[in-house]
Amino acid sequence: MEHLSYVKPLYAPFLCFTHHSFSLYSLSISISPHISTSIHNIFIFSYSYSPSTHPHFYMGPTPYNSSNSSSSACSSSTKPPPPQPPDQMDHLLAGAGYKVRSNDLTQVAERLEHLETVMVKSSPVDISDIGNDAVYYNPTDLASWVDSLLTELNPNVSGSGSGSGSGSGSGFVSGSGPAYVSDPVMNDMNNVYGEFGQQVVTPIEEDVSIRLVHVLMTCAEAVQRGDMSLAGLLIDDLQGLLGRVNSGCGIGKVGSFFVDALSRRVVNSPQNGVVQVDLSAYENEILYHHYYEACPYLKFAHFTANQAILEAFDGQDCVHVIDFNLMQGLQWPALIQALALRPGGPPLLRLTGIGPPSLDGRDSLREIGLKLAELARSVNVRFAFRGVAASRLDDVKPWMLQVSPKEAVAVNSIMQLHKLLGPGGPRGPPVDLVLDWIRDLNPRILMVVEQESNHNQPEFLDRFTESLYYYSTMFDSLDACTAQPEKTLAELYIQREICNVVCCEGSARVERHEPLVRWRERLTGAGFAPLHLGSNAFKQARMLLTLFSAEGYSVEENEGCLTLGWHSRPLIAASAWQAIPKPSVVTTGR
Amino acid sequence: MVHILENGEHFRADNREPEPEPEGFGSGFSINDHLDLLIEVLKRLDGRSLGAAACVCRQWCAIARNDSLWEHLCFRHVSPPPVGVRPVVSALGGYRRLYMVCVRPVLSRLKRRRLGGESEVVRRVWNQHEVELSLSLFCVEYYERLLVGGGRVAGDSPSSSLKFLCMPVNV
Repeated sequence: MEHLSYVKPLYAPFLCFTHHSFSLYSLSISISPHISTSIHNIFIFSYSYSPSTHPHFYMGPTPYNSSNSSSSACSSSTKPPPPQPPDQMDHLLAGAGYKVRSNDLTQVAERLEHLETVMVKSSPVDISDIGNDAVYYNPTDLASWVDSLLTELNPNVSGSGSGSGSGSGSGFVSGSGPAYVSDPVMNDMNNVYGEFGQQVVTPIEEDVSIRLVHVLMTCAEAVQRGDMSLAGLLIDDLQGLLGRVNSGCGIGKVGSFFVDALSRRVVNSPQNGVVQVDLSAYENEILYHHYYEACPYLKFAHFTANQAILEAFDGQDCVHVIDFNLMQGLQWPALIQALALRPGGPPLLRLTGIGPPSLDGRDSLREIGLKLAELARSVNVRFAFRGVAASRLDDVKPWMLQVSPKEAVAVNSIMQLHKLLGPGGPRGPPVDLVLDWIRDLNPRILMVVEQESNHNQPEFLDRFTESLYYYSTMFDSLDACTAQPEKTLAELYIQREICNVVCCEGSARVERHEPLVRWRERLTGAGFAPLHLGSNAFKQARMLLTLFSAEGYSVEENEGCLTLGWHSRPLIAASAWQAIPKPSVVTTGR
Repeated sequence: MVHILENGEHFRADNREPEPEPEGFGSGFSINDHLDLLIEVLKRLDGRSLGAAACVCRQWCAIARNDSLWEHLCFRHVSPPPVGVRPVVSALGGYRRLYMVCVRPVLSRLKRRRLGGESEVVRRVWNQHEVELSLSLFCVEYYERLLVGGGRVAGDSPSSSLKFLCMPVNV
């Protein structure tokens, strides 16, 4: 029952969303306070959603299936469409197979919401009774269907007015402003949401949030078409909307980052995107460190990678780890400690850390190396460190790593490989070259952790949509998590990613995330075989998550890879790979 | 003054007013003369009581800071008992710090999840994974102090990467 907010087949016809027809229509449905669920509800039907997963609640009519991908009513602000006389059947819903009079719409919407809260409160037994009688009610006449269900489920309810069309105080205000109705029904809903411990968002705010998302999408579409004047106007509109919504949390915060990124793109360089200002290595480290502390994604990545590397190094006496992005080396103390405690004693550990060259005179790679060496010395692990300074991963050549043939090699890439997916040089995309030399090193394990999202699509609008959904989920998880100081800088870290995905193009756009399925194809194509992350890694990840205070995180296993997500939306995926040795070239000497 | 009552099973510690030795305790037994007994008693306490015992007097404080007591506390309920951990933990700051910074918050967080918020102290057995996780977190914390301070431990508050353990659970 805990994810009930995501199960809304009843609302299916009201929430079909298309990119191409924005009808500023007058149906305001307050569904759930969480921003990701409002966006989720908007997007849920353009991402294959199957109503059959929840048989108890699905009572919709068959026209829903056929109209799943067609245009239907969207929820937005409350301006009535001019040409439609109020007494007629609403034509958009008629397209979905429902007959509802236009002036009944708000009422019907409210009663649907009330029905939902009543269903949430009732026990599953009552509901399954109704489910068996699906044919009895005629869902096409939506108004009376909702009423009859309400009386069936809750005989005490005196509905807000009777029947249809009598304008019983939940008046449909034409023209200005959203229609806020103070009604026992609405107050009841607010209280119910309060019980669930979520933020109580008034219907007005929910309204503005939904409108905000719609205008963001329209603006992105305009940017894709190249219509910068319209985009500029929409951005002003967006700034106005942001002022009306609570920008400390939820959609307001994520929305403000996206509006900011869009406005940079529109203002600075319409077609070709902007080049993001580089932070110094020190500033990058600070943001990264706060991101590490504020949410469990990096910790999950580090611990899972360490567990896999530990298992791969079992029985080896000379081991060499190559880290593609050393940063402050927060991953390695745990590995050093685990190696110190392994049965049979610690091996000789060599660590090669790759990082950006530091321009301000500090040799940060060397400093981190010294600290790690000090730690290793304290726990009696023989340790050697080497730093390789390179601004881009494809600048690194294998000879710089000085891998010796006797040692077991592990390559560790935490959110680095996607940066290589940009436009390549004459010899092909950089990622293939890098994977090629990794394969030449013959590592026992290649650990790849990447964001689980597709931000590398060729069309701007697709990228924008996907990233809006992804980052709003991530911000949801961040909201639920931590104390104030770390959070702001962690958000700044995420904001830079958002900016890169939205504003930049070409070689400046480095955040080219791709989902796990694409990485699987790419890696198997490059000559790697998957290694299954064992149950130890899974248990450790689950235990790590129980230590975090927010309860929405979930670890899932996906064909040997682990993903960490927020409320069933995976956000980061960790996978392990082994190099298949290249077939040796047979020279026929004659 | 501390007195052991006749059945020898419980003791009372009171460091505010020195009580006169009552009549009838003719032998004048004082636990402070038998430190091995004291240590045996302290070994069986839980963390909070051990901390309270350290506040009794200077002698008790010195004894309670003995790391082997805290080692016993940390791994008393671990099954199977970890081997070879002692030099590592000592190098990283000692068992007392391990308990304060990692074990206590981890245990209480895990217990709260399992029992759904009941607050009584329940004897539970750790498993191997929980031990390993605690040790790893402890090591990361040590490393962070190295990064920040460049020196040994200062104070008992954990460095920032473990703050998430100390934070109250979202209701």
